[in-house]
Amino acid sequence: MELTVNRQRHQIDAEAGMPLLWVLRDILGLTGTKYGCGIAQCGACTVHIDGVAVRSCQIALADVGGEVTTIEGLGTPDAPHPVQQAWIDHQVAQCGYCQSGQIMSAAAMLALQGEPDDAQIDRIMSANLCRCATYPRIRAAIHDAARRLATG
Amino acid sequence: MIRAALVLLLLVHPAGAEVMSSVVAPPQEGSVIREDGLAAWDRVHAVVSHPRCANCHVGADNVPMWSGPEYPQTGPHGMNIDAGDSRIGAETLPCTTCHVTSSAPANGPNDAPAAMIDWQLAPVEMIWFGQSSAQICAQMSDPARNGGRDWIQLAEHLRDDAAHGGFVAWGFAPGGGRQPAPGDLQSHIDDVLKWGAAGQPCPG
Repeated sequence: MELTVNRQRHQIDAEAGMPLLWVLRDILGLTGTKYGCGIAQCGACTVHIDGVAVRSCQIALADVGGEVTTIEGLGTPDAPHPVQQAWIDHQVAQCGYCQSGQIMSAAAMLALQGEPDDAQIDRIMSANLCRCATYPRIRAAIHDAARRLATG
Repeated sequence: MIRAALVLLLLVHPAGAEVMSSVVAPPQEGSVIREDGLAAWDRVHAVVSHPRCANCHVGADNVPMWSGPEYPQTGPHGMNIDAGDSRIGAETLPCTTCHVTSSAPANGPNDAPAAMIDWQLAPVEMIWFGQSSAQICAQMSDPARNGGRDWIQLAEHLRDDAAHGGFVAWGFAPGGGRQPAPGDLQSHIDDVLKWGAAGQPCPG
């Protein structure tokens, strides 16, 4: 089965029903995307499919209908995505486990929302859980990233 | 021969695909008496007011509900979900972020429900959650609020949605240990037609 991840094409030899998360981590070695709950309740496994946030634990390989972007493909250490740069500047992460999912959700949100207010951020990011409760820093970093994206 | 047919069927519909077949065979208009039409409506109402259906037939706040035997109490969908005026979450978080579009049912314990069409709320004018039987009956028989359908087209809508693995099919076979809507698709279609042939009578 052919799958495009981070602009690279791959031939995947796996069961059609294998969750995308397993493909990314166990077959392609892209371990930046995390397994949290496995039931779309925490958001740790969030990736983009054609730019839309998707919980990769929920979608089977056969149902992936677009190009996948993971945290590794969002930006690079030399050229981080504005959301990644804001995360670094605000030192958002504590334990870090949920943070790739948080960043992917935030990036997808900002592609749609421009400059969201606190209420919009809380509403949209509520499906991404952080057991370290870094929520105030997440919100601050999203505001910062929104400004960076707006100014190019 | 049977084996070959089974293989062909599996190729057309991958294992577990929730495609349901049904037929629409309308009785002659006026051939069903009002009393029988009202009895058919009661069975239709039992389906459409069931949580599998009503939880996503919500009002203008665009917030899906969590209700039914799977939940300790009735309340709004967790995670602060708001599907927006688009009813698909385009303004906030797309429903399809978690409710993926899939040819296979979400049968794992606590998997987010999935259908073969993109997950979404029903149009706002088709509110069922928290509505009385009479209110839902009035909405379903009003073309201005039911998608412009007469009673036969309502039945055809059910047939066609289920044939595409949509939410009608999902409601009767939701998987994951969830309680399905009562009865089955064909009985539901037959009841809608019986109610329609009686002139779409409503209680009260």
